[in-house]
Amino acid sequence: MQEKDRTLVEFRHITKRFPKIVANDDISLSIRKGEIFALLGENGAGKSTLMSMLFGLYEPDEGEIFLRGKAEHIHSPAEASKLNIGMVHQHFKLVQNQSVTENIILGMEPVKKKLGVLSCVDKKRAQERVRSLSQQYGLDVNPQDIIEDIPVSVRQRVEILKMLYRNAEILIFDEPTAVLTPQEIESLLEVIRSLRDGGKTIILITHKLDEVKEVADRCAILCRGKLVGVYNVKDISTRQMASLMVGYEVSLDVEKARHSFGNVALEVKNLSVFDNDEIKVVDNVSFDVHEGEILAIAGVAGNGQVEVADALAGLLPVRQGTIVFEGKDITSLDIRPRIEMGISYIPEDRQDVGLLLDYNLGNNLALKTYYKPPYCKNGILYENSFTKEGDKLIKQFDIRCSDGCATTVRSMSGGNQQKAIVAREISLGSKLLIFVQPTRGLDIGAIKTIHDRIIELRDQGKAVLLVSLELDEIMELADTIAVMYNGKIQTIKDASTLTANQVGEYMMGVHHEA
Amino acid sequence: MKRKGHGFKQSMVKLLGSGKNQDLRIALFCILLSLFAGSLLLLSLGKNPLIAYKSILQGAGFWPKARYAGHKSMLTDFLSLLNYATPMVFASLSVAVALRCGLFNICVPGMMIFSGFLATVLVGYSGLPSFGARFLVIIVGIVGGSFIGSVIGYLKFKFNTNEVVVSIMFNYIISYVVSFFIQTKYIDPTTRQSLKIGDNARLTLVDKVIGNLKIEIPLVLPLAILVVVGLWFLFARSRLGFELKAVGMNRKASRYAGVDVGRTMVISMIISGALAGLAGVSYYLGCYASIQPKVLPSLGFDAIAVALLGNSSPVGCLFASLLVMTISNGTTYMSSTLNVLREIASLITGILLLFSACSAFFKVQANRWAQELEDEYIVNMREAPHE
Repeated sequence: MQEKDRTLVEFRHITKRFPKIVANDDISLSIRKGEIFALLGENGAGKSTLMSMLFGLYEPDEGEIFLRGKAEHIHSPAEASKLNIGMVHQHFKLVQNQSVTENIILGMEPVKKKLGVLSCVDKKRAQERVRSLSQQYGLDVNPQDIIEDIPVSVRQRVEILKMLYRNAEILIFDEPTAVLTPQEIESLLEVIRSLRDGGKTIILITHKLDEVKEVADRCAILCRGKLVGVYNVKDISTRQMASLMVGYEVSLDVEKARHSFGNVALEVKNLSVFDNDEIKVVDNVSFDVHEGEILAIAGVAGNGQVEVADALAGLLPVRQGTIVFEGKDITSLDIRPRIEMGISYIPEDRQDVGLLLDYNLGNNLALKTYYKPPYCKNGILYENSFTKEGDKLIKQFDIRCSDGCATTVRSMSGGNQQKAIVAREISLGSKLLIFVQPTRGLDIGAIKTIHDRIIELRDQGKAVLLVSLELDEIMELADTIAVMYNGKIQTIKDASTLTANQVGEYMMGVHHEA
Repeated sequence: MKRKGHGFKQSMVKLLGSGKNQDLRIALFCILLSLFAGSLLLLSLGKNPLIAYKSILQGAGFWPKARYAGHKSMLTDFLSLLNYATPMVFASLSVAVALRCGLFNICVPGMMIFSGFLATVLVGYSGLPSFGARFLVIIVGIVGGSFIGSVIGYLKFKFNTNEVVVSIMFNYIISYVVSFFIQTKYIDPTTRQSLKIGDNARLTLVDKVIGNLKIEIPLVLPLAILVVVGLWFLFARSRLGFELKAVGMNRKASRYAGVDVGRTMVISMIISGALAGLAGVSYYLGCYASIQPKVLPSLGFDAIAVALLGNSSPVGCLFASLLVMTISNGTTYMSSTLNVLREIASLITGILLLFSACSAFFKVQANRWAQELEDEYIVNMREAPHE
């Protein structure tokens, strides 16, 4: 009886369909007041869709949402806000060059009348309110700071304040820890607990099992649009959660033989790189990558890792230092000669850099070799070769596409786009492969395939440089770990001598070793 | 589930939605739409649109007129159309080549004047034997246009200047510099234009008497058709075309793939310039024989809309040029037979150009509606059994 009284949100037989996919299939669940409720599932399992309906971004095709015992039709985020529902999105929605307070009050500015007639924004009152809310929940945010000057973890807390300022009672967090370091995650979870203790109801969308285990009271597991079940977190193990989430038994560990390093393939000495605004983004970085070695560069986003990769591929000019590949100085070589010498590059942004979305798959699979036979002779292209070579790769790498080589890449799913890039880069037969965020946004199955490929390449004696923001991925794959902070390498060590927590500390710039 | 406007959306999607020949269907739709808008305009003036459109066809030489003046016939009208369409074909191809590479060449009028002036001064007054003179005119046109193109391309490549701004500025610089030279050195005091060039250098044979007809023969029309075929091959089958299109789609990804983006853009501007140069000489030393100072040829601007109507494809540009010039040529006759002002007549050309510039919008809208209908369809399929 008491249980029932506490029910705050209730989904009844919710179904939502998109073209070609049922995102939510007859889902019924209820969330109680004052609990931390986790929604677990792989990418594409339908977690975000379900919450988007609560937040008014979509409307369900069937079923109803009950709020405080009353059926509600939420048509827009503004209506959701009126019903005291708030959401922190994965990508923050903040105006970069405005202050914390200005961002928080945007859209509902408190107004005062100057001289009785002129209405203007009452910033002082807003600032006081932001300050007191920040103190109440231990958020430690200065209302006068400008957004672009504050770190990601603080920006996230600004988003939380934005919800609190609008008197949100139900707080939805969409993958809140994806952009944070282990230490930052710890303090975020602390904030979430204090919000619950302050009487708020928290819904946590995530696929990270440890966090659920640590902070949530109950969790619902979704798998391919269906609700698998709702569990008390203390009654279920992470391993059980994982298999329920994927739908079959999974081994979370990558099987990896002991490494055996060969010769030095890549030698980077005192590398410094400046970005377009003349800011030093890579500062005096040195490292070697051997044949048969996976060197992983860890770091919080924007600490120069991607720029190192870009400089190696020739996309960014090197200001100081040298890059030696296979015994040759390639510091000022053009992009194409580097590709021909044997450097493959899987870039961070697969849609804007790695692929030409409006070209077909066949062209994209030959994007780095189209000018050579058999694709091209005397400046004339041979369509048949594109199709023939492309079909081989499609089969070998299991790329799912509706129309073979003629498929427009734009119409393919993210996972298959990534597979296409990986297929192309591996087919070059390069000695060095640079992977930047190779599994971002992919589901567990696709991640596993790519991880296996990376290990396979290492075992074939290739040199692999992996740049990733996912600490788990780095701990799993790396033979050697380099941690970058503020453009500098903080440490570079054998992976077996480091724990995830130590790497996290280096990522925050806590330790420094020359 | 059935909402207002549902049937309309459905038929529009059927008409313009993705699938075979979508671009062609959209182009035809734009044409029909502008003809319809033109009809409304004519009706509001109390004229019969059917007769008006018929007279346009008559003026352009597609339909026999009631009466012909001496030495004139349907054939002379049609050849005159081809004569005026030739520079438009070159100019629209010039815009199209740059567009394919992601560049907006708005400098076609400037390039036309530049190459036209160079050819006029260097060859037009020379008195060389006609074959050599005409050959030289073409060469000077190509070189002059591609020179301007290469400058714009190089500025883009070296300093990342915005090619649109540079192009606009070049239009005025060229126009005024050329006007200065014409007015100080080559002015014809009676016509207030540059001195007429000799017939030996002219790319159109004028008043050629065949039988009892006096006809115009555009000598460079075969060259224009050859260029259309050549560009088709370039885009469909060549390495350069592959790179050009790649750069047009996404410069970052092209650079990543090892394409020399700067070089490719400069090359595309050189080709675009050469084509604009050909448009210039076939206009100023073909259709006409002199240059009016301080006036940018509007044909160079119209070419932008024509290239859009032709979907930047070489063959599309050829047909779009013919269509636009048919209307533009035919309206002269229409204004005299129907007694409408010449300005009103050219308004119809304007309407066509306006609607063709909107073709991208129609495409996006049709695809959006198709998506909406697909969503609804899936929902309806699920609900149907319950009803």
